[in-house]
Amino acid sequence: MAFDAGGDTSDEALMVLYANGDRHAALALTQRVTPRVLAYAARLLSGDRAEAEDVAQETMLRLWKVAPQWRQGETKVTTWAYRVATNLCIDRQRAKGRKRQMALDDAPEIADGAQGAEDRMQDAGRMAALEAALAELPDRQRQAVILRHLEGMTNPEIAAIMEIGVEAVESLTARGKRALAAVLAGRKAALGYEDDSHAG
Amino acid sequence: MQDDDLDHLLAAAAKATPAPSEALMQRVLADALALQPQPAALHPAPAPARTGRLTRFLQALGGGPALAGLGTAAVFGVVLGYLSPTTLDYLTGSTADAAEFFPDADFLTTEG
Repeated sequence: MAFDAGGDTSDEALMVLYANGDRHAALALTQRVTPRVLAYAARLLSGDRAEAEDVAQETMLRLWKVAPQWRQGETKVTTWAYRVATNLCIDRQRAKGRKRQMALDDAPEIADGAQGAEDRMQDAGRMAALEAALAELPDRQRQAVILRHLEGMTNPEIAAIMEIGVEAVESLTARGKRALAAVLAGRKAALGYEDDSHAG
Repeated sequence: MQDDDLDHLLAAAAKATPAPSEALMQRVLADALALQPQPAALHPAPAPARTGRLTRFLQALGGGPALAGLGTAAVFGVVLGYLSPTTLDYLTGSTADAAEFFPDADFLTTEG
């Protein structure tokens, strides 16, 4: 039986099938989980694509290894993967000893729509400014803001990933967002909000 | 910066998800297949041997032990037939003639 990335079979059921030798489950899990882990790692690592790919591959490697002992109903696969990716990113950042500022050239690719080149450059500039601002946040605030506002997770899901309480998540995301707004307030030019009378 | 501006910026960033390269997907899938537990090998059970009519008949008689007893009795019967049965008369004839089970019963049949 084949499973596609958007099929009805849950990730947890796919883990069991994978552990039982189902090759289609291996493919489906790869297609479902890898892009999300990569996107999350790229954001946590301030757009360092090569590092993010290493983190994504390492996270998935650990997922394959834990599959035979996986117990359904205890943890969601994505929660587990995000948690592992978070720890790997923190380890790499500590090893570097500093946060890397994302260069404009490293900005994530943006879907090419019908916008003009000037608009796309403006968007790329905004994304780069946002990545740089995120990099200036404390680690926990950055994780919480990324998980809540970029990965679209709920507070209980974030609490499970960060292994803290829901109230702590709410506090972290609120403080992180305020800090983000403060950092970005000084980069109005990069964001293209210089003409906004409300900016400040 | 207004909250709305930040929300719009975050929403735009959420949509700008970096797509994984084909090379990364291939590496992850290769790891998955290399580390995947192999399913336990299943071997079909051997088909039961077909039994013929003679086998079924012999089994109906009781199988090996019963046939062994039957065979032994048959051989013993042949041996008895081959040997002189007169030797048995020594045992049965003489004792039968000599034996008098009711020595005092003759008076019952005597008239007078």
